Amino acid sequence: MLVTNCGGGGSGGGSGSSSGSGNGVGVLPTGNNVLSLTVNGSLCSSNPANNYINEPCVSVTVCSPGTSTCQTIDDILLDTGDVGLRIFKQVLTVPLTAVTEGANPIAECVPYLDTTSNWGPIETADVVLGNEPAVSVPIQVIDSTFPGAPTACQNPNQDPTDAGFNGSLGLDFILQDCGLGCVNSIPSPPWYYSCNGSSCSGTTVALADQVQNPVALLPEDNNGVIVEIPGISSGGTPSVNGALVLGIGTQSNNTPSGVTAYDADPGSGDFITVIGNVAYGSFIDSGSNGLFFPPPSSTSLPTCASPDSDWFCPSSTKTLSATNIGASGSPSGTVSFQIGNFDSLLNSPNNVFADIGGPNPGEFDWGLPFFFGRKVYIGIEGLKSGLGTGPYWAY
Amino acid sequence: MKNSRNILLIAFGFLVVSLAAGRRAQATLGESSDSIASDQKALSAVQRATTARKDYTVQEIQSDSTFIREYISPTGVVFGIAWNGLTRPDLTSLLGSYAAEYKEALRQTPRKPGHRRSSVVHTNRIIVEQWGHIRNMQGRAYAPALIPPGLSVDEIK
Repeated sequence: MLVTNCGGGGSGGGSGSSSGSGNGVGVLPTGNNVLSLTVNGSLCSSNPANNYINEPCVSVTVCSPGTSTCQTIDDILLDTGDVGLRIFKQVLTVPLTAVTEGANPIAECVPYLDTTSNWGPIETADVVLGNEPAVSVPIQVIDSTFPGAPTACQNPNQDPTDAGFNGSLGLDFILQDCGLGCVNSIPSPPWYYSCNGSSCSGTTVALADQVQNPVALLPEDNNGVIVEIPGISSGGTPSVNGALVLGIGTQSNNTPSGVTAYDADPGSGDFITVIGNVAYGSFIDSGSNGLFFPPPSSTSLPTCASPDSDWFCPSSTKTLSATNIGASGSPSGTVSFQIGNFDSLLNSPNNVFADIGGPNPGEFDWGLPFFFGRKVYIGIEGLKSGLGTGPYWAY
Repeated sequence: MKNSRNILLIAFGFLVVSLAAGRRAQATLGESSDSIASDQKALSAVQRATTARKDYTVQEIQSDSTFIREYISPTGVVFGIAWNGLTRPDLTSLLGSYAAEYKEALRQTPRKPGHRRSSVVHTNRIIVEQWGHIRNMQGRAYAPALIPPGLSVDEIK
């Protein structure tokens, strides 16, 4: 289904106007290393009750390890603020292999700040992204009924209708979701649990057994990803089609040009954004459906009345700018963006909006609107490309 | 002067309430700085540093890969807590006598699709703000009524 949009270059009223040149999103690439992506389009479930606007969806193929017994699952949320593949148990039809410690299955609790969490066992699957070779990787089976849920997972996601997706594909630039912090010690509260019947207790887990970035395991096209979503008009649109490209500078369809790489701090996973003369830790995140930041005092950005008080409702669309800086102190570049009145914009048949945002108490979260009309390169930690060594974002 | 006396009275009132509850408080927010030792025990944390600033003192404790800072008024009451790290700490322990109202406020907060990375929860007496993404969870909790007069809430970080 074709959707009318502003096309590449972020021109007109669309967001994605960037200080760099030549990084518009033109014709979407094709190839074995390309996954289709739709924002609220055909790859997302049509679930209006869920009201998930600006939802980027992809499709993944999951196989029983070492077999060609596979299923293709769509409505997978692309979340670049998380890492690893997580799929609801109800959706999986192919048997996977439990990751265990001795006889005990390993399970994981991952809380999110939208009041939900993901609880469920870790299982190994062969995962196929695009038309790449399958990779054997631990994934999380989201299962609120799995016995032994800890206190930190008391409101776990229960089913796809409840959550608004069949699962999520985390493609932050880190390799494993917990990493070294779970290898020799158990964080408080724990990430991973060893479960014996209905009793689960925190445990350490080797890196190879943790839920991790499946792209990094590919034989080629493994050093990062590029998210390409065309610009859209300022009033929004019902849906927009984009692409998720695997690899940076590994094929003719993923060679960077006209972009600047901003290094992220390997510990925090943040870089720096200055707005209103205040510097914040910041990150680029497709799993956030707006631009969320502490509003500068110089611009009037009141929040909407309840129940939309998580969003800004200025009386008219405001144009703001912020400066992004690499974690090491350079480079720096200005990003201009717009924030419109959320309630007015939502009073339309549209589901995808460029000019929406809301307050964040402590960081600058460049959510999905940042991606419209600019290619965003995400360089995986420790891996090299022509743009440098990850972790970095480039745009 | 009147304000500090009122705060002292409020803090004393909280102490009396917690003692009357008949069990050793695991709490910190709103309690005396002595309770930080019980937080350390509850969170398996170690003391890292104590820093005296102009209008308050900060005690830092570290629980594995999570750092917690407790902000103490001149009258010895913890008026704010901030944290950052791999996981967010057990808020039930840190919020003490405020934990129940926080849980109830959470229970009444609807799910917000697309808002995985930040939250702000108000109760009658405290505000809990959280932000972050995988590997870096941050937040702070404070009782506005306990903040020393003239001190900006932005000092709690």
